[in-house]
Formats: sequence, structure tokens, C-alpha cells
Amino acid sequence: MERCEQSLSARAVASRWTMERTAVNVRDITKRYGETVALDDVTLSVGRGSVYGLVGPNGAGKTTLLGILSGLREPSAGTFDVEAARIGVLPDTPRFDSWLTAREVVDLSRTLVAPDVPMSSVDTVLEQAGLSNVAHRKVGGFSRGMLQRLGLAAAVVGAPEVLLLDEPAAALDPAGRREVLNMVEALRGASTVVFSSHILDDVQQVCDTVGILKQGHLVYEGTLDQLVRNAGHEAAYAVRIRGDGEQLVELLKSYGWVSRVSLDSEVITVTASSGAVLERELIRSLSRADVPIVSVAPVERSLEDVFLEVTR
Amino acid sequence: MSLWRLEYLRLLRTYRLWILLGIFGFFGVLGPATAKYLPEIVERLGGGVEIAVPPASPELAMAQYLGNALQIGLLAIAFVAASSLAFDANTEMATFLRTRTSVAKILEPRYVVNIVAAVASFLIGSALAFVLSALLIDTPRIGGTIIGSLLVALYICFAVALTGLFASLVRSVPGTALLAVGALIALSLVGLIPVVSPWLPTDLIGGYDALIAGGEFVYWRAVASAVVLSIGAIALSVYRMEHREV
Repeated sequence: MERCEQSLSARAVASRWTMERTAVNVRDITKRYGETVALDDVTLSVGRGSVYGLVGPNGAGKTTLLGILSGLREPSAGTFDVEAARIGVLPDTPRFDSWLTAREVVDLSRTLVAPDVPMSSVDTVLEQAGLSNVAHRKVGGFSRGMLQRLGLAAAVVGAPEVLLLDEPAAALDPAGRREVLNMVEALRGASTVVFSSHILDDVQQVCDTVGILKQGHLVYEGTLDQLVRNAGHEAAYAVRIRGDGEQLVELLKSYGWVSRVSLDSEVITVTASSGAVLERELIRSLSRADVPIVSVAPVERSLEDVFLEVTR
Repeated sequence: MSLWRLEYLRLLRTYRLWILLGIFGFFGVLGPATAKYLPEIVERLGGGVEIAVPPASPELAMAQYLGNALQIGLLAIAFVAASSLAFDANTEMATFLRTRTSVAKILEPRYVVNIVAAVASFLIGSALAFVLSALLIDTPRIGGTIIGSLLVALYICFAVALTGLFASLVRSVPGTALLAVGALIALSLVGLIPVVSPWLPTDLIGGYDALIAGGEFVYWRAVASAVVLSIGAIALSVYRMEHREV
């Protein structure tokens, strides 16, 4: 956890540095399909060289937003800028002509987006994607995971300034996911990556900034550590005691500022409407109880906890 | 790997080129052969019943080729062209191409390669029919054969352009091909109206038989309309696809 926090903090610093120069700016974008509003007045910005995680439940508008940024869909209202000469795009389920080999697919991509890039880069990205041994095989027989990695190889071969990845690791086994996430991680600083995912662990591993979409609305945008610390309203502290905690639980429940109290062995978890309330009231309240206190510490919330709270 | 090579490989690796060559080549052989041996075939199968069959002639041989080859050949051309031009039918493949280059650059080799493959297949079939007719019956009029073949080649260009236009209207390969064939059939029905007929691209097909039979060249109006309609269909398909969301 400590290592994860250090990593988050380092990424937050990187994000503050990169946010000074943005590569993607979305202003008041709305997208309607008839009566359905897929995106509603979404405004966000992505720092140059950062890895931006676009998360949200199914139907939140992630794919629609990526479609607009990649120029495949027109917004109904609003404007956007993608400041890049080369944009790499990976759809959620990439498909290619089945009679092409993997090497031909990546080479076609190279020829179309960056003919000046040497042919050797095709073999390099295929190796990074773990596809060297099947480079000359026709892609018709590829599994979904292999197609996903091939799609990523084809997206990065032209060294794009901006990379739009729609669920890039969704269909992969753990080893394949690790390879893809390593590829994305390696792009930090060189490319700006907008990365949509349902897998919050992936987002936590590679993204420095996140935007949470819910029913077409951007309900949160910021760094991951800000999100985990500040997003939502509720906060919790764990109070480790010695002996029977029932009396203390009853006491805490009697206070109006307490939202919930739970007892698990000798640990009482106290939840309040905000961290500030807890910091102000908890110690004062505990001092009134006749129970030995071993420790009091804030409960770290996972990204998943926060995500569920924000999108509830 | 350029987009031109992609289309070339599509024709070769998916056997589409061999299908086109096979159809037109087969009828290129069959046309003169049936013209030559039809009386014998009918006599053997007639069972004593007397059936009037036109005498073998180079004009009949070439007409047999065109009549047979265009029926199945146009269907094959429409399906082969649709499988390439209707690239928007598959969202993921369309995303791969359209996020990397413009629709015009994607369509340019697709139109050219499909037109070249279809026209070349027809011309090879026509050449086969000409040679076999010369060997088995008599030599057809060479000038009429060349100009007549060029007229049908122009009609094939129009058919491919029409297929491309339907590819920009629907998102389905079979749908595109069937709409194109349906439109060509509807045009030939419209061609039954004498006043309209000379202005329709379908009139070009009639030019093949007529010119080989020694008729006069009276197809300028059909040539002009085929050229204008083909260019218009291609331009409209590019415009529509550029403005269509994936």
C-alpha cells in the first residue's frame, strides 16, 4: 500500500507538471442519439504526456467520448481540441482483415500514419506486444487477447502524440494485461494517453489523472490521490481498542455526527459525513469513554470504494 | 504495406480475382462453343423433334458470351466491389482505417483496383470468346469487338461506382451488392422506354452485339451519361462516407 501511495504521489506531481500544457481539451461536449443523451455538457482536459483514465459504468459515455476525440463521431454541441499531428486509436474489440499477417497489419498502420518511421519499428512494437512469434501468422486465427495486443501495437507504431485506448486490457489474461499496461506505462511522457477501462486496478496502476463519467456527466476529474482522499463525502476512521467495545459502539451511535459504526473483533470503524467532522469530533468523543484505546487511524479507501460512491 | 497493396492482396488472398476471371473466362469459352455446337446438341437432345437453331456465326458466339457472362458476372462484380467498398460495415475495421487516413484515400485504391479487376476479367473473357470464335467459326469484326468491349467496360465502371454509392448508404456488404444489382435491373427496365433508353448506361450493353454485327456507333449519349453518373456516384459516396459517423 505504501509503495502504491508513493507511486500515486509521484504521478500526481507528474500530472501537475503536465497539466500546465494540455493535449486534449473538451469543452461543453454534448452528444445526443435521438432522445438519448450519451454525453451531457462534458468538459475535461488532459495534460500533455499524462495517462488519463476515463472510467464509468456501462453506458456512461466513455466510448462515445473517445469516438468524438478520434474524429469518428460529431458532437451535437460543444467543441474539442486534440493537439496532435498523429493520433493512435484502439477500439474495444479490434478487428482486421483476416487474411493479413500481424506484421502486415502493423506495417499498414505505420505506412498510413508515419511512413517516415523505419520498418524496424514494426518488429519492435510486435515484440513489445508479445507477438513476435506470430508476426507472420494470419490474424484470422488470433484470439481476442492477441487481437487486442495487435491493435495496441498498430496504435503505437507511428509514435502518436495522443493515444486513445478503449478498454485496452479488457480481454486479456493476467500476463497479457501486464504486457499491455507496461506498454501504456512506457508511453508516459512521450505520448498523451486517454485510457478507458472498467478495471479500476488497471486505472490505478497506470493513470495519473482520472475522469469519472456517469450517465453522460463527468462527475469527477482530478488526480488519483485527490480522488481517493477527497472525492465523495464520507470518511472513516478505525479505532483499535482492548477489551469489549459494545459500550463504546453504543456511545458513538448516540452522536449525531456519526453516520455508521461497526465492530469487528477489537476494531471499531466509525464513518462520518466528512473527514473534517471526524478529525474534530472523534478524539474528543473517545476521551469520554472508559475503554482502553490502542490506536486511531484513518481508513484508506480503495479506488473501487470511491468509484462506487461517486457513481452511486 | 500501402492501401494499394492491401486491395491487391484482398483480391488475391480471398480468391476474388480468380472468381471474376473464372466466371468471365468460362463464358468466354462457352459462348463460341455453344454457338458452334448448338445445332448438334439440340439435334441429339431433341428426340426427333425439329427445333430451329440459328446457324453458327461469330456474332452469335460473341452475343452468347456477353449474355451469359454479364448475368452472373455483374452479380460477382457487385459482391466483390461491395466487400471492399463497404468497409464501414465493420465498425472496428472502419475505425482502424478512418482514424489513420481520409475516406478519399481509403476509397481511391478500392475503386481503381476493383474496376481494373472487373474490366480486365471481362476483357479477357471477351478476348477468349473472340479467339475461340475465330478458331471454331469465323473471325468477328475486330473493330466492333474492341469498341463494343470498351462500351461494356464503361458499363462495368458504372456498376462499380453504383455499388460504391450504395456502400455509402447502407452498412452491409450483401445489402450493398443486392441494392446495386437491383438498381442495375431497374435501370434496364427503365430502358424499355424508347425515349429514355439512349441516355441510359444500360444502352452500352446493346452496343457490344450491335457493333460486332456491323451496326453504327450511336452510343455517345449513353457514354456521356455513364461517365457523368459514375463520377457523380463516386464523388457522392466519398462525401457521404466522410460525413457518416462510425
